[in-house]
Amino acid sequence: MEADFLATVLLSSLSSASILLIATIGLAVVFGLMGVINLAHGEFLMIGAYTALTATQAGVPYLLSIPIAVAVTMAIGALVEVLIISRLYGRIFDTMLATWGISIAFYQLAVLTFGTVSPGIGMPQISVQIGDYSLALYPLLMNVVALLMLGFVYLLMTRSVYGMKARASIQVPEMARAIGISSSRVNTLTFALGCGLAGFAGAVLLPIVPATPSMGFAFVIKAFLTVVVAGPVTLTGSALAAIGLGGGASVTASFLTSVAGDAFFFIVTALLLWRFPLGISARWRRKL
Amino acid sequence: MKKLFVAASLAIFAGGSALAETKIGAIFDLTGGLNIYGIQQNNALELAVEQINAAGGVLGEPISVVSYDAQSELTKYTQFTTTAILRDDVDALFAGLTSSSREAIRPIVQANNVLYFYPSLYEGGACDKQTFVTGSSASQQLDVLIEWAIQKYGPKIYIMAPDYNFGTISAHWVHEYAKQYGGEVVGEDFLALTVTDYAPTIQKIQQSAPDFVVALPVGANQTGFLEQFAAAGLKEAIGVVSTNYGSGNQQVVVSPAAGEGLIASQGYFQVVDNSANAAFVAAWAAKYGSSEPIVSVAVDTWNAVHLWAAAANKAGSTDIAAVTAALESGLTFEAPNGTVTFEPGSHHLRQNIYIVEGDANHSFNVVETFEGVAPAYENAMCDLIKDPAIATQFTPEGM
Repeated sequence: MEADFLATVLLSSLSSASILLIATIGLAVVFGLMGVINLAHGEFLMIGAYTALTATQAGVPYLLSIPIAVAVTMAIGALVEVLIISRLYGRIFDTMLATWGISIAFYQLAVLTFGTVSPGIGMPQISVQIGDYSLALYPLLMNVVALLMLGFVYLLMTRSVYGMKARASIQVPEMARAIGISSSRVNTLTFALGCGLAGFAGAVLLPIVPATPSMGFAFVIKAFLTVVVAGPVTLTGSALAAIGLGGGASVTASFLTSVAGDAFFFIVTALLLWRFPLGISARWRRKL
Repeated sequence: MKKLFVAASLAIFAGGSALAETKIGAIFDLTGGLNIYGIQQNNALELAVEQINAAGGVLGEPISVVSYDAQSELTKYTQFTTTAILRDDVDALFAGLTSSSREAIRPIVQANNVLYFYPSLYEGGACDKQTFVTGSSASQQLDVLIEWAIQKYGPKIYIMAPDYNFGTISAHWVHEYAKQYGGEVVGEDFLALTVTDYAPTIQKIQQSAPDFVVALPVGANQTGFLEQFAAAGLKEAIGVVSTNYGSGNQQVVVSPAAGEGLIASQGYFQVVDNSANAAFVAAWAAKYGSSEPIVSVAVDTWNAVHLWAAAANKAGSTDIAAVTAALESGLTFEAPNGTVTFEPGSHHLRQNIYIVEGDANHSFNVVETFEGVAPAYENAMCDLIKDPAIATQFTPEGM
């Protein structure tokens, strides 16, 4: 096997893992901090993508359209939390059912609003040459984006007042309320943050995955499995699971077939959940 | 909101006219993931019925339509086909997009002996007395496309296809025609519909260094392949040809940088230049607007309704035996995609195949027109005149 082929496989597998991590992190935050599995996560990603697309069509530069997408998805996320999720805490299956219903509604709303096809914005036509192989630059940039996202969430959780309140509310809710933390407001903010991260993912992945009403479906299954495999340690667990599952699947697909890559993802997920029913991070001492 | 209104008016229309003599059933995906096609199929059917009724209807009576939304769910096709036949007593059924939906419908129409029109391009080979196919089959499109592409780009071919029967059977035909026209398949990759990251496929394409790629992206995610292929800088050196690019208006989604120069072959594109198409496009725009280009399955549906109406008028009856005999009499129709003719034995259409090239404005230019291409594989396998009892889907040997 030539060295240049190995190098491109390694690099692009790393970006595959990063893309998976970018799409997963919002889901992981909401699950890790609130115990809520948001099955509408993929639709928030879709809303982020459409917001960024609409903004760029209105003449906003692409980079500026990303924060707009985050703001819009956070607002919708907060609304959903207040109206629906807040009534279902502690009922994990009910929240899954409710968020699944929300996903169907959002999907159809997107079809009615945007139609079934919208023009994409395309990827920057810049590629990197490695030996005989060339790689698109934009997916490689996703490695940097994924690292920045991890760093942002880590700092937010450890260094900000909100982060401390959020962790307190989830670890000892009664005590948190006793010392004056309004846990319902913290929860609204956490859910909105998770949705905002999904919106960010949708916007930043827009050049790679064109905005379509059904784009959420493609992400939500793998993102969901990654979160479940990761277990309770939100950040480190998700990063490791994304690299192992997403990167491993990509390497397998490069050497064998894409079907083998998918098979790798699902078989390894099943094996890990068999050995670690609560996720790979269930017995770790770290918290994030 | 426009679509909501259309759906609402359909419901009223369906409920209101039970007295008319002839009644047809329409089952398409008006909601859900496949409505990118289903809405246009249903629009085309409504438009065709409107035009036929304005011209005097079928046998002097207006056609009425019973319309169902299959919601992109397979079980709904089974359910609504049964309802349309048993409760609504339709004279003919127009339904389905995916091969799985067609295979769900066929046993029911066979058991109840009801005429069924399948208006979609597909992998080919469906054969029974009740079923008439108005879309083009994979071999019909690939025969001319592969020969053309080998001449244009060179003999080495890479196949990127979805991992189900449309993809695998199409890939088989690429192998066959490659052999026939002096080409060689140097690699292939079958992909699940949920894949969004095509880096592994793109590396394998570079590794096997083909002259052109036969790309058969199905669904929204797989259009991402075309973006990623172009962004990797491969578009200049390696051609991309497809039998289904454009069938769901992918050319609108794909950016000009990735879409310009892509080659597609199908039985219809909106840019096709003839008077029937000009009239069709104008009538469509007047009723539905022109924000989305018309896709080939819409024209397949339009042709199906017109061919059925012509056959019923010719037979002087909506009785299935009489209409089938008329459909098997070499019936032709001046369609938006040129003259189409039902092949008596195979119940498939002899029709034009167009090769087009993507331009920089999310549209196409016609490069070459192959007139009256026969569904050769279906004609060879399926002769319902000689053996009316056949009810199967032929697949190439070894599949």
